[in-house]
Amino acid sequence: MRHPPLVVLLAALLGLRLGSGAHELPSPPFVWFEGEFFHHVLHWTPIPNQSQSTYYEVELMPYGREPWKTVPSCNQTLALSCDLSMVTQELYHNDGYRVKVRAVDGSRRSNWTTTIRFTYDDVTLTVGHLELEMDRDALRGTIQPPRPKMAPAGDTYESIFKNFREYEIAMRKVPDNYTFTNKKVKGEHFRLPISGEVGTFCVMVKPSLSSRLNKGLWSEEVCHVLTRQYFTATNLGVFFAFVLLLCGALAYCLALQLYVRRRGKLPAVLVFEKPRPFGLVSQVPCRETQDPVYLDQEAFLSVSTALRSSGLHGSTDSGFGSAKPSLQAEEPQFPLPAPNPPAGVTLGEGTPLEREDSGGSGSSTDSGICLQEPSLSDSRGQEDSGIGLAQSSAGQPGDTQHGSASGRVSPLRTEPPGEEDPAVVAFQGYLRQTRCTEEKAVKAGCLEEESSSTDGLGPKFRTCPDAEAGWPAPALAKGYLKQDPPGMTLHPSGSPTRQWNQPTEEWPLLGLTSCGDWSFAHDLAPLDCGTAPGGLLGSFDSDLMTLPLISGLHTNE
Amino acid sequence: MKVQHVSLCFLGTMLFLCSVHARGLRRCLVSMDTHHIRERFQEIKTALQAKDTFQNVTILSTSETLHGIMPLDTCCMTKNLLAFYVDRVFKDHEELSPHILRNLSSIANSLLYLQKTLQRCDQKLCPCREEATNKTRVIHSIYDQLEVPSAAIKSLGELDVFLAWIDKNHHQETSTTNDKEPV
Repeated sequence: MRHPPLVVLLAALLGLRLGSGAHELPSPPFVWFEGEFFHHVLHWTPIPNQSQSTYYEVELMPYGREPWKTVPSCNQTLALSCDLSMVTQELYHNDGYRVKVRAVDGSRRSNWTTTIRFTYDDVTLTVGHLELEMDRDALRGTIQPPRPKMAPAGDTYESIFKNFREYEIAMRKVPDNYTFTNKKVKGEHFRLPISGEVGTFCVMVKPSLSSRLNKGLWSEEVCHVLTRQYFTATNLGVFFAFVLLLCGALAYCLALQLYVRRRGKLPAVLVFEKPRPFGLVSQVPCRETQDPVYLDQEAFLSVSTALRSSGLHGSTDSGFGSAKPSLQAEEPQFPLPAPNPPAGVTLGEGTPLEREDSGGSGSSTDSGICLQEPSLSDSRGQEDSGIGLAQSSAGQPGDTQHGSASGRVSPLRTEPPGEEDPAVVAFQGYLRQTRCTEEKAVKAGCLEEESSSTDGLGPKFRTCPDAEAGWPAPALAKGYLKQDPPGMTLHPSGSPTRQWNQPTEEWPLLGLTSCGDWSFAHDLAPLDCGTAPGGLLGSFDSDLMTLPLISGLHTNE
Repeated sequence: MKVQHVSLCFLGTMLFLCSVHARGLRRCLVSMDTHHIRERFQEIKTALQAKDTFQNVTILSTSETLHGIMPLDTCCMTKNLLAFYVDRVFKDHEELSPHILRNLSSIANSLLYLQKTLQRCDQKLCPCREEATNKTRVIHSIYDQLEVPSAAIKSLGELDVFLAWIDKNHHQETSTTNDKEPV
């Protein structure tokens, strides 16, 4: 027992060492800061051999400004992390914070483990959310910066990071993978051209600051389905323009149609029924007869009056009414009365001129003489052969009606027009007014109806100046026109112009025969063969002046 | 007419002098490319700050130093801080790690370039008033209160504070080229 103090001393030291070891608690090995915009979280690793009663304490200090302060929300926490957002709100305005953590287990406490100074350079940048919408042929994106609830009023992402905000954009088309182009856009708005593609497109963005070294975090993927747009502004505009053009064209055609119809509209009295087929219609065949026909003056007057009152107007007929239009008809152009007129029948006064007739639409004052529908000189200038006849027997193709005196008549048509004095030539007594066969065919080409609206009812013909020029206007007559003797006043043979449909054309001043030379396409007989310009009534007036000629027939006889 | 001619001449002379003065001002406009410095510092920040044992002391973050500096004193303060780092901090620090040494060298060269550029400014264009002079004196005083190695490591660890102050006081148009107000 020489060294008992040394033994005691060693025992005391051993006991002290064991005791200190029992109170020693390892400190957390690692402590680090992870933070996003106003979401600052401290993390640490647990101590080795941690017991269930071990908890941790956290203290915080703004850099360079003591003292250290305990974080209440993290006091005695069993977790391995702590949200320091509420106590680090000055992070974006100061030089940072320092935080330390220690473990506590009962009465034992570990040493502090201190972080390095963390500043807002250590904050990871994020975005709030991303919106996508279709903009014509591109995707338009809008990035919303984060809006944390912990942020004090006035501290927004844009206010803290005023400049140099950038976003990297990645896009993919489902089901392809993302293509990272490393292209960055400045600001929170961007536009991605799609170029007419359709399908599902997904986009994500990563924020960054060009002036700082903050790391960024990719946002969540946002997808947008693109479908083919048919109802775009351009397509709708083209469609409506097309519709307007179509309507305009239709309106124009309709107006034109109405205008043409109105122009060609015939008066009711001149409306004839539709032409019947050839060979079946000649209700009043225009027969050649050698029998002379004498016209009663009074009858003629009544007929002319009737015709005048009926408002006949010039139609495109040759002056000889025909029941049906037939330019090529070979039937006689003058309808014959139903009862065959005996040869040499002389119509006395009062004898009605009406005969039966075909169902002409006009008044049928048939005197037994095959007459054509008078062609009225139309104030509108329809074509007219220049030969005016009293009346019509409708439905007749141009029957040549020859009076009994036709045998004595030498048709003037055979003579070239203008080669001799029509008055001299005409003065052969009675001229047969029509040649139903060859002249009709010949004249078919000359005549042309201009009034399309009559639809086959108006005679078709156009003037053949070479044939008719120079002929005197024949008086209104039925069948035969008495030729004026030389000296008699005839209708001026100066080929007065008529107002046919083609006013510039001369209307033919035909003799009797010239009337028969017309080919009639319609039932209407051209009333005004040789009528003076100015209309049928005018021709009536002028023809009336020739009445004495008719009356002279009796005299001649 | 003569008076008008004289007036025009006077106006032209004034304009000429103003342009010269502005040109002189532009000579103090320095391209403060701090982005490169930040990148280098980020590489060694954790290592440097981990070596800082004096956690309760700060050299640049006190209210008596960089905080509350008037705009007129910014140019002088910038020039004084650049001299502080180039003439004292980088010379007092001894670094053994090659990685840290390489980055510190790059930072030092960048700060040296900025210092030389500012030294070409006319003194009249970058005056140092008493306030800037006092604040510079405080910085040096705190630095001197620490041991040289600790002071140096702490100053290097606070380079981000110095760079943030530069960004705050000198508006940068771009991340690299900065055409700024007078430093």
